[in-house]
Amino acid sequence: MSNFLRILENEIQVALLIFMGTVYLLRLFWIFRFKPNRERTAPAGSEKAGIAYSLMNVAMPWAMESARKKPGFYIQFVIFHLGVAAAISATFIIPYRPELLQVKPVLRIFQLIIGAAFFVGLMRLYRRVAKPTMRLISTLDDYLSLIFMILYFASGVLAIPNRYQEAEWPLILFFGLTAFFLLYVPFSKISHYLYYPIARFFLGKTLGHRGVLPMKRKKEEIFLEPQEK
Amino acid sequence: MPLETKSQEKARSDKLRSVQEGRLKLYDAGAKNVKAFLDLISQRITRPLALSFVSCVHCGMCAESCHYALARPDDPTMTPAYKAEQIRRIFKRHMDWTGRIMPCWVHARYPRDVEDLNLLKNIVFGTCSTCGRCTLNCPMGVDTAGLVRFARGLLTELGIVPEGLFNVCRDQWETGNQMAVTELDYLETLEWIREELQAELGLSGIDIPVDKPDCDFMYTINPREIKFDPRSIGHAAKIFHFAKERWTLPKWGWDQTNFGLFSGDDSLGAYVAKNVYEAAAKLKAKRIVISECGHGYRSTRWEGYNWALYDQKLTTESVILTLIRYLKQGRIRIDSSKNPEPVTFHDSCNISRAGDLVEEPRWVLRRVCSDFREMQPNRTENFCCTGGGGLLSMAEYRPLRLEAAKIKAEQLKATGAKLVCTICHNCVDGLTDLIKHYKLNIKVVQVLELVSNALLV
Repeated sequence: MSNFLRILENEIQVALLIFMGTVYLLRLFWIFRFKPNRERTAPAGSEKAGIAYSLMNVAMPWAMESARKKPGFYIQFVIFHLGVAAAISATFIIPYRPELLQVKPVLRIFQLIIGAAFFVGLMRLYRRVAKPTMRLISTLDDYLSLIFMILYFASGVLAIPNRYQEAEWPLILFFGLTAFFLLYVPFSKISHYLYYPIARFFLGKTLGHRGVLPMKRKKEEIFLEPQEK
Repeated sequence: MPLETKSQEKARSDKLRSVQEGRLKLYDAGAKNVKAFLDLISQRITRPLALSFVSCVHCGMCAESCHYALARPDDPTMTPAYKAEQIRRIFKRHMDWTGRIMPCWVHARYPRDVEDLNLLKNIVFGTCSTCGRCTLNCPMGVDTAGLVRFARGLLTELGIVPEGLFNVCRDQWETGNQMAVTELDYLETLEWIREELQAELGLSGIDIPVDKPDCDFMYTINPREIKFDPRSIGHAAKIFHFAKERWTLPKWGWDQTNFGLFSGDDSLGAYVAKNVYEAAAKLKAKRIVISECGHGYRSTRWEGYNWALYDQKLTTESVILTLIRYLKQGRIRIDSSKNPEPVTFHDSCNISRAGDLVEEPRWVLRRVCSDFREMQPNRTENFCCTGGGGLLSMAEYRPLRLEAAKIKAEQLKATGAKLVCTICHNCVDGLTDLIKHYKLNIKVVQVLELVSNALLV
């Protein structure tokens, strides 16, 4: 392995991870500087149950009409994000536990997931370009984040066999893109995963307090307790 | 729609008290409105709103949850994400790092002038009923309805509001109720309803008490009940009488509706809600009961306490819960065969998606009607009556509202019901309007009316 690739896989990644973590901390500090809401009403439901339901929403496609009516879109979402998780895992496995990817089935599973995510990425890009609604709401950040993710998945499929003896360029491309993402992500829409749990936490808290979440569905004789409502 | 300010100019020349005291805000063409708008964003934004601003990934999942977008599938500007983006892009340019450094990267932009603010007004007031369907359908938990209300509030502060909405807010500030009902009109109408009831039932003891202290509850109503639909107070009074209830209406603080919810003006919201809470405290009522009104329920039960910074001390409940109590305790007896026609139920957005009453009205309806049938979708997934968000008061947006009402009309038609029941006066008007427009053979009723019909006396 060349010295350049070794530094790219190790020191550069660690330094940029620290950079990303620092920016995320600043982002969180910024978000938490906005004033919170204080609830002054008596509850009609449970905030904890609302928060749990809201956070688990991602794993309950039946809970939201938008996901329920478009199972294909939900499956795409799952594949895409599994691909992201697999690619990120690979950036740690390759330099620190390379023997894991020498197990053929493990390697193939990683390639399958990341490869599927690549195709989903292309489908999403097509949807964003082809649908007028999507075009209108899309920004440069939306397009480029997606294009970079598609490239990242493609490079991931090629890089994870970790055959640097044969050719280093797939690994250089993969870790180069990883380095780019660590710099870019905190300023792009990809940082949504940082906000996602907090946004859902607050929505769940409010709607849980009001008894809207968890959804009451077709339970005719649920107990109705007028005194406390 | 251009910015109309005739009513505002009249309010200024009439030297209305609310204007003099700076509570009712008027448009000032000479002011630095864009700067004021930006300053207001910084001052008013809360943590949950900031998260809703930064969390949208533009996935477009909200498009099919909105009745405007569904009714106009070829018009991408009807997508909730697009509507929210009009305020989000200002937030990004003004407050978000990426938007401040590289605005073109994320479509961040300052409003250039009042024309841009007027355009924003037309979007947030004219193309959204803040029904919250998109909020519940957003995988990220973005509260688009909350963002729209936030934008409405900033514009209201600058007097950049639709005329009809301004007029209702003016009346609520000036008279304490949204329809400018005078105390004399209020008391005379109640007296008239009392006499009608006594004649109808042949009972001299039936009463509509006003300002009676130490009651089991203080009843609050929608001014529409005084002005256009006094029968609903009659139905309530009849039921309360047979349930042997100790209740009262207040002389002041009886309006539970609240245009602060629609205009985004939390100070109006606080003023109106506090009138109700203080009236109940003054009368030493044991609870506050809210008549059938969607936004009134949401404002009085939920938002009002927070707007008024008033810790809830009294149980505050919808009259639907009061009816359930009567039925469970056997205080009233009913015969469902008295309501033989097929009935469907329309969930009010402000109650099902922003409140907590979903099964409760159904519980009552299944007992007082012989043929109850659900419309699809229902409960928290129900579509807006299209009159929500104060849109009934904004005549300029009526054509688009009725176009979007196609979704609701199809929903109603598919039930085959002859009656559509709702627990919201606003929905009564919204549904009636669209039923007339789409020539449907359905009548709008409310739960109190059906219970009153079914009552065994």
